[in-house]
Amino acid sequence: MSAPTLSPTTATGTAATTRRRPRWRASTLAVVIPSALVLLTLLICALFAEALSPYDPLQQSLMDALQGPSAKHWLGTDDLGRDVLSRMIHGSRIAVIAAAEATGLAVLIGVPIGLFIGYRGGWWDWITMRAVEAIVSIPGIMVAIVIIAILGSGLHKAMFALGILYSTAFLRLARSVVLTEREEVYVKSARVIGASPRRILIRHIFLNIAPPLIVQVTLTVGAVLLAEAGLSFVGIGVQPPQASWGTMLNTAAAYMELNAFLAVPPGLAIVVTVLAVNLLGDVLRDSIGRGVRLPAATPPRPRSAAIARKGTAPLPAREDDALRVDGLEVMVSPKGGDPVPVVTDMSFRIAKGETLGLVGESGSGKTVTGLALMGLIGAGGRITAGQVTLDGTDLLQLPPSGLEKARGTDIAMVFQDPTTSLNPAYTVGSQISEVLRIKQGLSRRAAWDRTVELIDRVGIPRPAERARAYPHELSGGMAQRIAIARALSCGPKLLIADEPTTALDVTVQQEILDLFRDLQDEMGMAMLFVTHDLAVAADICDRIAVMYCGEVVETAPVEQLFRDPRHPYTAGLLSAMPHGASGTPPLPVIPGAVPTPGHWPTGCRFAPRCAHAAPGCALPVDLTPGQTTTNAERLTRCIRATDLTLEAAQ
Amino acid sequence: MIKLVGQRLLAMVPLLLIVSILTFSFTALLPSDPVDLIIGDRGSNEQHEQVRERLGLNDPFVTRYLDWLGRAVQGDLGTSFFNSVRVTDAVLLRMPATLSLTFASVLISVVVGLGAGVAAALRPRSWIDRLATFGATIGQAIPNFWFGLILASVFAVTLRWFPATGYVPLGENPLGWLLSITLPALALGLSTSAALARQVRSAMVGVLQQDYIRAARAQGLSSRRVIFRHALKNALVPVVTVLSFQITVLLGGALIVEQVYAINGIGSLAIAAVRQQDIPMIQGIVLILVLVVMGVQLATDIVYGLINPKARPA
Amino acid sequence: MTDPLLQIEDLTVTYGGRSLLGLKTRGVDAVKGANLTIRPGETLGLVGESGSGKSSIANTLLGLVPASSGRMMFDGTDLAQMKDGYPDVVRRKIQAVFQDPYSSLNPSMTVEQIVTEPLKIHATMTRADRRARAAELLRMVNLPETHLPRYPNEFSGGQRQRIAIAAALALQPKLIVLDEPVSALDVSTQNQIINLLYERRDATGMSYLLIAHDLALVHHISDRIAVMYLGHIVEEGPADRVYHQPAHPYTRALLDAVPLLDPERQRARRAARRAAPPTDLPRIAVQGCPYRHRCPRAIDRCRSESPRALAVPGGGTAECHLLEPSGTTPPAQQTTPGAKGPASNTPPRKEPA
Repeated sequence: MSAPTLSPTTATGTAATTRRRPRWRASTLAVVIPSALVLLTLLICALFAEALSPYDPLQQSLMDALQGPSAKHWLGTDDLGRDVLSRMIHGSRIAVIAAAEATGLAVLIGVPIGLFIGYRGGWWDWITMRAVEAIVSIPGIMVAIVIIAILGSGLHKAMFALGILYSTAFLRLARSVVLTEREEVYVKSARVIGASPRRILIRHIFLNIAPPLIVQVTLTVGAVLLAEAGLSFVGIGVQPPQASWGTMLNTAAAYMELNAFLAVPPGLAIVVTVLAVNLLGDVLRDSIGRGVRLPAATPPRPRSAAIARKGTAPLPAREDDALRVDGLEVMVSPKGGDPVPVVTDMSFRIAKGETLGLVGESGSGKTVTGLALMGLIGAGGRITAGQVTLDGTDLLQLPPSGLEKARGTDIAMVFQDPTTSLNPAYTVGSQISEVLRIKQGLSRRAAWDRTVELIDRVGIPRPAERARAYPHELSGGMAQRIAIARALSCGPKLLIADEPTTALDVTVQQEILDLFRDLQDEMGMAMLFVTHDLAVAADICDRIAVMYCGEVVETAPVEQLFRDPRHPYTAGLLSAMPHGASGTPPLPVIPGAVPTPGHWPTGCRFAPRCAHAAPGCALPVDLTPGQTTTNAERLTRCIRATDLTLEAAQ
Repeated sequence: MIKLVGQRLLAMVPLLLIVSILTFSFTALLPSDPVDLIIGDRGSNEQHEQVRERLGLNDPFVTRYLDWLGRAVQGDLGTSFFNSVRVTDAVLLRMPATLSLTFASVLISVVVGLGAGVAAALRPRSWIDRLATFGATIGQAIPNFWFGLILASVFAVTLRWFPATGYVPLGENPLGWLLSITLPALALGLSTSAALARQVRSAMVGVLQQDYIRAARAQGLSSRRVIFRHALKNALVPVVTVLSFQITVLLGGALIVEQVYAINGIGSLAIAAVRQQDIPMIQGIVLILVLVVMGVQLATDIVYGLINPKARPA
Repeated sequence: MTDPLLQIEDLTVTYGGRSLLGLKTRGVDAVKGANLTIRPGETLGLVGESGSGKSSIANTLLGLVPASSGRMMFDGTDLAQMKDGYPDVVRRKIQAVFQDPYSSLNPSMTVEQIVTEPLKIHATMTRADRRARAAELLRMVNLPETHLPRYPNEFSGGQRQRIAIAAALALQPKLIVLDEPVSALDVSTQNQIINLLYERRDATGMSYLLIAHDLALVHHISDRIAVMYLGHIVEEGPADRVYHQPAHPYTRALLDAVPLLDPERQRARRAARRAAPPTDLPRIAVQGCPYRHRCPRAIDRCRSESPRALAVPGGGTAECHLLEPSGTTPPAQQTTPGAKGPASNTPPRKEPA
């Protein structure tokens, strides 16, 4: 028994996720309805205890003592022959009073103080928090025992003790919400418009404290019920002959060997009530988005066992292809929804030593494509069609163990945020040498030496020393160099780089791009470079595939794409780039916004935003070389690709 | 690491001071006059005065506190008002039973909680996950003393596999100790197992969605290795914090479960002290319990520093 | 020229510097001796990388962080003297739009509440008037009135940023601080927001302080540009001059680091650039010129002496010893960022060895 607290992960959830319309799904209702019924029954028993009880709960009848359940006494009798059912019903009143008193007091004491010290800070905060820490470091029951020693025993005094004890939980919750929320940008905005501290606290922050507060109330109610029972059980809570579930268990314990059944009704009543309260709390916590977010369910396997081929005709094979992707389709299940496609009819080639840029805005499916090639879409996503051929092997046909073997050695990946893609718990060197030991079977010693070499190769000064650093001790640029060293440690044939410079400053970005180039010249791997930035793609890529709404809309060698874009979306993106645009505002725009997966038009997906849309655009469009050219390097998904004159970047 | 321990030890000094002030001033609030409790109503006024003088009750509050603190630092927490037993002796005599019970249940909770939590996290939404989550939810709703009663009635009274009551010191008879501690430790460990399982599951589910897990898998490391080497260590970081807190909870819970199994631990001592308003005894119990809790916190801080490089002082 | 709306002189912002127990610790200077001027109707672009102090200037100007020293003359009052927050008369004249549209709107307030909150604080209006004004504000940012009762989480990033702009416009301020207003948005939405901002500026004659990391973007829409490096404003001047003829080596490094949209020219430029290996030297030099550790053109003098702001031909100033008439050749040269002007066809420049 001690003050329950929201776990650290839940208490600091950002406010941005708090307001969400709760969606009542069947599984939720299956929890909510029984729980609510239990609590309703409890409340009715508490309110109408006299009317509902068959006997007076205090009426003794020593002749009938310690009987089992019978028609006369449904739940039997206790040591003094009192009717257990009647005592149970009256006990529920005690439970309700106890929960209401202690929780109410805890909220009334804890929340205002927590809000105050959280906002005020300074000495007030320091002293209060030290006192709270002191109280929390005494086992809760001892705190209650000391307070009861001062006040004396009895229901209300015991609940006063519990109220003080649990107020520390509310105090800490309110304080932590204030501390988190006051750093939020919307509070900054409120200060800028001139809202007073009081107004900010009451009108802006307090609204966001309500959801975690409600969850904390349910936790506390459950804890109070258990604590009341415990205190009454050891005889310092509710005093006999008054009927509470805890005192009934006290009696039951004394007569365990004569009538074990006595312990069952009050115990079950406590369990069921606390369970109902806790389950409701869980549902509330999930519905306000502060629980653990589970990965979405994986969409069902496609009906045919073999992964189907569909869409655009296969691209002609080239001699030096390292990677061929044909007709790739990926479906993802959004939370609680049906699977929707996020990548469709995806086909491209990358030659050895070549870099293909996969360029698109958020939601275009470019990152999912990269992960799909690795077999790392994760729960919630599934490849439903297509072939991914790396050096002659179809990766999608490999068993999981085969794919696992290929990862790291044949195909490797560098991620966007270097500070989160390295494990914070291990030194950077150990994370590289681990790969070398497992994938290449090097000895510990040899792996470490090679690690230091690799770290040196990616341009980090003092490599032997830096190998022993933890990720958080490195700057973003240095961490990304480490991630690159690890990805290339086993000399993969294909390197997938997912926005590897987006999180970095522009001068660091330039250094990392140079590093990619140098390493590719040296090692000759094929590279798939995923980015939203056309300028970065222009710098690093040989060819570019532009993605929009899950499909490639145009693919071309980099010079041709920039000089002569064929797809209106490509042209639009180019002219919207800051250095592409000319002159002063108004700057060129693509009207509207990118539709989210599941809301794509059925025909050409860009048509609703396209200035050149024609009636024929209402039908799905294939990626084709167009009529005038047979150049397989140059494909466009637009029925007007050949008759439009689009502005080039320059 | 030594620096970390040093910092922690230093931070405990003000905390201990605050606890001692709180305890001392709270017990000073006790409504009854200790002198009445000791000599009853019969004594003459003179006797009363003598006792007051002997107990130092005529001194100002601050003097009494400093006096008490000074002796407490030397390990002297005074003597019981009732049986002239030294508080330190009484508490230390009872402590092994309570600590045995607490740490046995910590062990059970860690094993059960980690196992169930990891198993559930590996396959979210599977039947294992549902079973573990449901079990944990129920486990947290069951009062430990009631579970103790049920266990005793089934395994001790009916099946007679374990003794129903009493505590056998470890030094006296290790097997007897184990048998005497098993049921109470199970009863006590249930809700903490449940709490840990939930915490482990949520931490693991969270960690498994992190970039570095995806990156480790992108390097072709096996799922086993990713889970047990890369994920678990990070998932344990919040779990250690919760465990530290839960050990305090267990220590408190032990005081009640002791009553079920008639174990002569701190619990009965404390309850008796409260009933008799035995001030020095209550103060002593609180202080010594806090010392135990701080020891636990120091240990968890060290473990925390070991698994979380960011927590180490630069 | 008109009188400046805002004149920042020798502004220093220091973080930390006091521990909890009141003991003095050494603070970190986020901004050191900055000078900036914004005239009515003008946009000043403030450019720098992360940690350059550009957001600290914004926060100080908005009264969120106290100035350690210096002056911030705004419309006749020195904001740096107002340690206890701005009076309402000042408050309503300076508004802000922040970077992340997902966290800058209170998730538990409706669009109407968000947009009318400034009116409730600063204006005495009836409920009906406020509602009418809210509808008008939404129309200004091209959002339908029907969005008023909805919550922020129902909107896309671009729409949220429009809502934030509507709230900033509510009090008809004289200056809006735009802190990376489009960097969280998709490329195809960015220009929509920028165009909206400029349409509003031209309609009202207010000024902008535009904070961004992208020089190319800032160049298009600013009248003047200031470049920050680790707390120092290293260069300031008319937008075209700074962009096409950067005087400070750091400004040039920033420009060169942004890849050109033309692959052939970008490749040529890269071939010409010898990527300096990363060094262990700190990003900031404690003595002398703060940029000297990274500067390819550093001379002996840079080590010993902090450079003063010197006038640059074409307008503005830069803090670089190389600009001294007696120094070596001024570094101002034609460069070829972007697609502008006849200069764009000149061959890539060679760095002197």
